[in-house]
Amino acid sequence: MLNLKHVLKPAVWAAALSAMISPALAEETILIAGWGAKSGPLRSFGVNSEAVLKAAVKEVNDSGGIMLADGTKANLEYIYFDSACNAEQAISVARKVASETRALIGIGPTCSGAAAAMFGVFQKTVGDDNDTGLQFPILTDTAVRNGLAKISQWTFRNTPNEPDMYDKLFAWVAKTYPDLKTIYGGTETDQGHSNGTYSRVIVQASKRYGFDWATGDIEGVTGDLGSGYTEVLANSSNWLMADTNFSVQARAFKKSEADIYIISSHPFTTCGMLKELKRRRAEPKLLIGLTSSSSAEVMKGCAEAAEGMVIPTSFAPITPAAEKVAMLANENGGDADLHSAAAWENVMIIKQVIESAGVENKPETLMADRRKIRDGLETLERTEGLIGQVQRVQDEGEALKPYVFVQAMGGKWSVIHDPRSIQ
Amino acid sequence: MGIDFIDVAQAIIDGLLFGSTYALIGLGFTLIFGAMHKLNMAYAASAIAGAYVGLAAIALSGLPPVLAFFLGPVASGVIGLAVYITCFRYMPASNMLAPLMASIGALFFIDEIIIHATAGSPLAFPAVMDDVYFELGEYGFRGDLIFVLVTSLVAMLVLLYVLFGTRLGLATRAVSQQVVAAELCGIASHRTNATTFVLTGVLGGLAGCMAAAAVGVISPLLTVPITVKGLIVTVIGGLGSIPGAIIAGFAVGGFENLFLLVFGVNQRDIYVFLLLFVFLVFRPNGLLGKAIKRD
Repeated sequence: MLNLKHVLKPAVWAAALSAMISPALAEETILIAGWGAKSGPLRSFGVNSEAVLKAAVKEVNDSGGIMLADGTKANLEYIYFDSACNAEQAISVARKVASETRALIGIGPTCSGAAAAMFGVFQKTVGDDNDTGLQFPILTDTAVRNGLAKISQWTFRNTPNEPDMYDKLFAWVAKTYPDLKTIYGGTETDQGHSNGTYSRVIVQASKRYGFDWATGDIEGVTGDLGSGYTEVLANSSNWLMADTNFSVQARAFKKSEADIYIISSHPFTTCGMLKELKRRRAEPKLLIGLTSSSSAEVMKGCAEAAEGMVIPTSFAPITPAAEKVAMLANENGGDADLHSAAAWENVMIIKQVIESAGVENKPETLMADRRKIRDGLETLERTEGLIGQVQRVQDEGEALKPYVFVQAMGGKWSVIHDPRSIQ
Repeated sequence: MGIDFIDVAQAIIDGLLFGSTYALIGLGFTLIFGAMHKLNMAYAASAIAGAYVGLAAIALSGLPPVLAFFLGPVASGVIGLAVYITCFRYMPASNMLAPLMASIGALFFIDEIIIHATAGSPLAFPAVMDDVYFELGEYGFRGDLIFVLVTSLVAMLVLLYVLFGTRLGLATRAVSQQVVAAELCGIASHRTNATTFVLTGVLGGLAGCMAAAAVGVISPLLTVPITVKGLIVTVIGGLGSIPGAIIAGFAVGGFENLFLLVFGVNQRDIYVFLLLFVFLVFRPNGLLGKAIKRD
């Protein structure tokens, strides 16, 4: 007959032993802060980022939390603020989080323009006593415009490196489609990321691989990043982010008779422009888009018109880890894409840095802990990403992330080329 | 790339066709101003909100997409009534600024509701004759924009009939001319104003659906530019002038496209606003508004 005493006794001993061996769970949680666009027309970016952040925090806590310097383990907790897509709001949130909360690090913001302004209020050089800027580490997930992290030594990014991505994309296009010779394009001129990446990165990459501007050479464009970028914009057919009528631009695209069209804009105007091109029966041999458009929004807005569009992206559900994050993001009411998926990687990076840097997570060590995390981020050489290893560009605070090329096919983004194996 | 005559003509044709949505929005602004001498800044937001409701209704119920063009205006009419009650009906008549500011608040309130409901994502909006494109020599005419133009013209004719051929229109015109006299004649001015808001709301909902159909996508990004265009049309047409708003809507659409073609997108709006300033300075009563005497 089963004796309850015999069953309970080993269990009690096992529990006591386990408590002695395993680190105690610290009372205080480790707080991280996220912020992004939760209002305004780019709200979906903030919604997606928070959905992924929430899933990542749960994942860390479910696996036992984060080990602190004294050997105890603490759960992770996050707060999320709305910085819209507004520079003043992003700066205000950064100041509030740094001065009024015990957050050890921040993740955000959404928009490159807001990030550029916000990074400007951080201490430029670590240890500069004459600089009273914020001393609070940031690991950005979304704002993607090239080179922003250099603004402050406290700011780091885990965002795609677009110059590298478009360079490889045009190398691949030149090899895969040898008959295509000419390009033409346009961008949202009131959006820093869209027009900066278009004029300084995409058109330059096309030039390096021998593609000609369909309406004649553009003065000053050599293929070097940013060369002749004002002339690129002057020679393109552009629009604004809130435009509703694309007839003039679509006619210019069609008239150019280019083999390749470049549409560098966010989902709303990407869809507006693509639909107008379709109505005008402007049929390029290849469509190339901006990284930010490789999202669910384009598929919701204009899947049919986007058919065939090729975009490089640093996220696609092509590994078990990426598939899991995509599923968890959906469960939390968001979508995992190249921007939001970085929030997952960021949380895992933060866990790794906290555990290796000897963070104490006490009120009296708050500033020292933030500094340790910053220093820890700076020394990282590579991190584990969802679709492969991410290299850190240490002196710039930037990342070199693996990427794939996706194409709009039948209402979803499908991977058509995976350059990770040749990187 | 050089600009030839065909480019210019095509840009103006496209602008005129798209301008019919501006005309509808301008009509709404001018009708409310004509009736109450007040601006309803939430008008375009109500119009887009109505279009969203129409889209949601067909998505949830599985109704044919074309019904969005009927359900949207109905929803906009209801939203228009809500805006009247909250921003105009109980505001002190002596404080001209109060309803204006309240309606600006309503504009952003409605906008944020849309953003929160849709996460700001653009959504595909059904278009009629989307794949129809008429070619006449070198010129092309979008079938969906012709549909927008025809629908807008029919809506304008219906509106003109309501205003000039029905007792409701008579009451609206009476209230707009002299509220006290109208009330002495037994016309309930508040009810007439509320009806005007519903009527213009329906018109706005149609314009919102037309604008979304013309782009092929609906997004909260549409509200502010359509509000601005509607106001420009109202001023250029002449505050309170219905035919003026119609003509100005088409004119603004045409000029906007022409400026885009000639000067590029970064300077386009400079010239559109310059056009507004030219009217304000040299013809403050607009194209067909009542003469305004200078101080």
